[in-house]
Amino acid sequence: MIAEVEYTGIVVAFVLAGIIAGGMIVLASTLGRKRPSTVKSEPFECGQVPLSLPGGKLAIKFYLTAILFILFDVELVFLYPWAVIYRELGMVGLVEMGVFLGILMVGYVYAWDNGALKWQ
Amino acid sequence: MNAPDLMDLKLVVPEMMLTGAALVLILLARRIRKANVVAAGTVVAAVAAALAAAPIGWVFSGVAATGFSDMIIVDGYSQFFKVLIAAALALTVLLSVKRAPGVVDRATDPDAPGPSADGETGVVNTGPGNDTEDVRPAEYHALLLLASTGMMFAVSALDLLTLYLGLELMTLCSYILVGITVNSSASNEAAIKYFLLGSFASALLLYGISLTYGVTGATGFEAIASAVSGDGAGTDRMIWVAMGLLGAGLAFKVAAFPFHAWAPDAYQGATAPVAAFLAAASKAAGLAALGRVCLVAFEGQSGVLSMGLAGLAGLSIVVGSIMAVSQSDMKRLLAYSSIAHAGYALLGLVSGTPAGATATMTYAFLYVFMTLGAFGVVIALGERGEKLDGYHGLAAQRPGTAALMLLFLLSLTGIPPTAGFAAKFIVILSAVRSGHFALAVLAVLCSVVTAFVYLRVVVLMYMKEPREAAPSRFPVAVGTALALSALVTIIAGIFPDLLAPWAVAPGK
Repeated sequence: MIAEVEYTGIVVAFVLAGIIAGGMIVLASTLGRKRPSTVKSEPFECGQVPLSLPGGKLAIKFYLTAILFILFDVELVFLYPWAVIYRELGMVGLVEMGVFLGILMVGYVYAWDNGALKWQ
Repeated sequence: MNAPDLMDLKLVVPEMMLTGAALVLILLARRIRKANVVAAGTVVAAVAAALAAAPIGWVFSGVAATGFSDMIIVDGYSQFFKVLIAAALALTVLLSVKRAPGVVDRATDPDAPGPSADGETGVVNTGPGNDTEDVRPAEYHALLLLASTGMMFAVSALDLLTLYLGLELMTLCSYILVGITVNSSASNEAAIKYFLLGSFASALLLYGISLTYGVTGATGFEAIASAVSGDGAGTDRMIWVAMGLLGAGLAFKVAAFPFHAWAPDAYQGATAPVAAFLAAASKAAGLAALGRVCLVAFEGQSGVLSMGLAGLAGLSIVVGSIMAVSQSDMKRLLAYSSIAHAGYALLGLVSGTPAGATATMTYAFLYVFMTLGAFGVVIALGERGEKLDGYHGLAAQRPGTAALMLLFLLSLTGIPPTAGFAAKFIVILSAVRSGHFALAVLAVLCSVVTAFVYLRVVVLMYMKEPREAAPSRFPVAVGTALALSALVTIIAGIFPDLLAPWAVAPGK
């Protein structure tokens, strides 16, 4: 019962959002003046050209950089909670994080050694 | 839940050995160029891991121990499979000596230049359409080592999350291993197919884990077991959906019908040693994981499990056997045969009893050696071994190799006194004892079909005239691996009870 009361607010928010958004669309399409042009009739895609052939090749370097970024970004996800309970974990926590970072560093050295960081 | 303790690391010593070796190889990837050095190091690591994991070794005293907050268990069951995985790794490395790293066929051309001298990438690209399998040895072996590490974690998992982690490490490495010959388009295609289907199967597995957590509030096997053991009252029907999804995800790893579609393509596209590794080691690891999930976590639902597994087993046997008949590519033929063998191995788990699990363990163990042996002959024959037509008149040209192939094929068929007979006998006996007579009859009937598949190759080898020139000699390492596989196949066939003391079913 408590749960139902708690979620009522969310339902109200959904309903209000629906009414406002739906109302705007309905009002705009009924009351608004319509002067269509070729450009206006195109599907709207945030400023992008909506229809185009797949353009050229994208250098693999971008993917490589992105992958490396994600790799070390995810590492931080583990570091924050670890830092919060660092004192409770004690020596075990320190060693385990050392092993974790050590293994990640091996990957970093590998990437570096094999030219992944060279932008040529 | 125990507090984290560094002494828990003792439980994962075999995994640490393999990981350590892999890390060294990754660090030195650009500097180690000698394939034989890398292979020797990997074999040493595998043997050390096998010794550390051995049921008599110092890590495992014979008493089951858990660690890492009850996420890892070390017991007779896990150690049995760890030794098997380490053995499969060592044999695969030996079998890779000619084909994988640096791929210079020293046996046929002693003056061939060493692996690439191209310092930047290590990949020699000698032109378009070039199908060389020039793979840097360190990376290839590091991936094999890490895949084996994942398998070892999966077989000693006592928690669905550890299980998932282990299996994912295994499959992620397998995707790369299948596609590691970047210059071969067949290999690339196989890797993409395997990756897409594999990710889908992993998603199913994860969905099953999350539903299990939703129903039972736990991911640990023992907590799940106590939550689902109540019959009727208190048990949510949703647990069956969760079990179905988990089963589908795990059946993909063992390539059981209807989750087998990736296997023929992946095996055909991959190099033969990688295909052998997938067919042998990853199947054994999948079976081990499935066995512990069925016997420990969902023991309280053994009725439903038994039906599901019986379906998987029966269909895998029938489809694998029948599809193998029409294959003309040897790796594809062995892939369909491996699907049928997955079905036979599952027969033991159908009973849901410790005796049945023991049967499955025995089957997995013996199957690994006979299938590695059969793939080993394919590897030993090189290009010629990949096509069924290549076996025409082999016995006249290479009587020794043909005799080895005969042994492995007889064993895969299940003809005494080879290991295959002992293995099939024990799983079919287990099915009969648990009252699945129809399934047992089906298994025996399909054995006849597979006999046709395998004996067709024998007929080609012994009763046809040679069509091609005799194959070149294969390296000593490949010969050693073949000899070891043959030894296990013969000894286990003559003394089928040798394994019995080590095949310990997982207990609660």
